[in-house]
Amino acid sequence: MSCFNSFAMRRLAKVAFLTCLGVAVNACGDLSAIELTETASSQKAWTDVADLVRSADADLRAVGIDRVREGLVGESFTRQAADLLSALPADAQVALLAALAGRGDPAAVPAVGRLADAATDPAVRGSALKALATLGGAAEVPILVKALAVEPVKATARKALVEIRGDGVTSAIAAAAGAADPGVRALLVDALTDRRERAAMPGLLAAIGDADGGVRQAGIRGLTRLGGPDELTVLVDEFLKSSGDDRKALEQAVVGVCSVNRGKERATPLLLARFTAAADDARDALLPVLARLGDPQTMRVIDGMIADPIQRRRGLEALAKWPDATVADRLLDLFSKTTEEGEKALLLGALIRVSPLPDNKLNDSQKLELVKRTMGLCQRNEDKVKLIERANAIRTIETLRFVVPFLDQPELAEPACLSVVELAHHQKLRDANKAEFTTALDKVLGITKNEELVERATRYKAGQTWDRNKKS
Amino acid sequence: MAIDSKNLDDSFAALAAFDWGKDAAPLAAIDAAVIATRGDAALRADLEKRLGAVLSSAASRAAKDYACRKLSIIGTAASVPVAAALLSDADNSHMARYALQRIGGPEARTALRKALETVGGELAIGMISSLADLADAGSVPQLAKLLTADGPLALAAARALGRIPTSESAAALAGAKVGGEVGRAVKDSQLSIAESRLAAGDRAGALALYEAVSKEVGEVPAGHRDRDVRVAAIRGMVVTRDETSST
Repeated sequence: MSCFNSFAMRRLAKVAFLTCLGVAVNACGDLSAIELTETASSQKAWTDVADLVRSADADLRAVGIDRVREGLVGESFTRQAADLLSALPADAQVALLAALAGRGDPAAVPAVGRLADAATDPAVRGSALKALATLGGAAEVPILVKALAVEPVKATARKALVEIRGDGVTSAIAAAAGAADPGVRALLVDALTDRRERAAMPGLLAAIGDADGGVRQAGIRGLTRLGGPDELTVLVDEFLKSSGDDRKALEQAVVGVCSVNRGKERATPLLLARFTAAADDARDALLPVLARLGDPQTMRVIDGMIADPIQRRRGLEALAKWPDATVADRLLDLFSKTTEEGEKALLLGALIRVSPLPDNKLNDSQKLELVKRTMGLCQRNEDKVKLIERANAIRTIETLRFVVPFLDQPELAEPACLSVVELAHHQKLRDANKAEFTTALDKVLGITKNEELVERATRYKAGQTWDRNKKS
Repeated sequence: MAIDSKNLDDSFAALAAFDWGKDAAPLAAIDAAVIATRGDAALRADLEKRLGAVLSSAASRAAKDYACRKLSIIGTAASVPVAAALLSDADNSHMARYALQRIGGPEARTALRKALETVGGELAIGMISSLADLADAGSVPQLAKLLTADGPLALAAARALGRIPTSESAAALAGAKVGGEVGRAVKDSQLSIAESRLAAGDRAGALALYEAVSKEVGEVPAGHRDRDVRVAAIRGMVVTRDETSST
């Protein structure tokens, strides 16, 4: 559009210039004269460009292809350039397709679409698919969908389905998903998700009820990312009907809709209302989901259940899923009052999980204090191991001082080594307490049999860094 | 901001004895005066005169360097003679050109052209460079003559002509009977002028130049440099003929 405007502006400027010179300008007649002149000159330029594009000389061909991308404005030239595609060798086709995509004129779509649909060379077909993503619209969706079944260009086609724009594209992809084989259907549902458009919702909702597990999981993935309050009812229905992996994924989706996604503040009350109105078995299923959201109204329900001997166990299980340490006092109180081993284990597991959580519910000192109190409740080494390993999330020198004594207990020494090294990973903390860390790291080096910890401890002692990403 | 005359006098006294390695802080009053005299023609003329006097004095190279830098900001045609007098001085020629280029105007251009007639070697190359920076059309005849001079001078002249996009410089380049490195610089400069013509909307002029260069290197260029020139010329021809696109 800008090129056209620029062209039109130049033509108008020429007419104005002729008028200024005193030439009696009949607008239509003189514009035609100008057009004829330009057409002749530009047609010569096009002949040159076509020769260059067809040239066997790579440098000259590059000049021609650059002009296809940047010059010769107009649909007519676009079509002529696109028509060159069929007679070119593969490498030139790839370059010309990229240039046509850069040119951005949909007039090239028919020729580009033919290669995207049927080119035998994967590089050519891939380039054509990329170009279609830029130039095409809803009508080209079937070509991209077809290419999803062709292994060498599958990834390119999927990316193109995410990138292609235009009215009706998302609906066309959803319609194609409804008719495709399960493998392709799952890819299309993922593409719908990656497009991040509300128009994708019907397709995603249809997918979570699909007979194929892969498609269902793709639909759930999509709704986990994009779902809002409007999708909650269907999500909960499916959650209550589901089992196994689907149930876990759907629970994650409901939590995502209520705690992360747009409209979350409307979604949680809806879920609570659904819970309140549900039958007992549905309430049992929904309570842990609500608990993971940490909503105050849910706590009232949980308190009521814990007070009822029949519902107590389910109430405790829900409490154990609470997302943060604001329930620490409740957990400690319940732990101190119960004598039932199963309840103790459940509550202790929750304390071990929430006490060092890196959220802002408690400050570092409060977190460490809770960790220490929890450690005092641990009887089994496996619980102590978990707590020592999790404690390093509290990045303070006091945590190091808490962990170091466990280096002397053989059964807890390895997790303690891990936590010392993890704390030492943080350079500011390490540098501010160099002497203490050096002593602790020396001790780690004398204890651990873990080669990675030895390497890390050695590097930290020498003031060096360690890249987690290079671990593998 | 008012100028403190006493401080300024002290500063000029310090400049007279200034050299590299000495504390430059005493010169701060001159820096301040350069700013403070903006909009006051009389005070600025006085400051310019005092800086010019440093160039004519026996002051050190460092002091003249400093004065040239200040004159490049506030200098006028009045400073051209004192700066021009340094153009033939190997130690100060560069900074004198620095000042003259920024002062600009016909006086500075004339001074640089005159100096080009008298200085030689690297100093002459400096004059050529400054004249090219000023796109001085008046220097084209001198530069054209230098196309057949010794290697470095001819090379500098060929490159300078490409930065002065006039018909005269294009004609001088087209008529040059030179080969080797200078010949290649001539072709590069012809392409530069063609680009300038095209950018200025002179499609016919640009096309003629591109066609001439393309014809000169032929369809089978002698080496990779000529091959690059041919590709550039062909590209230029196509772009120039394409009236649908902006240049």
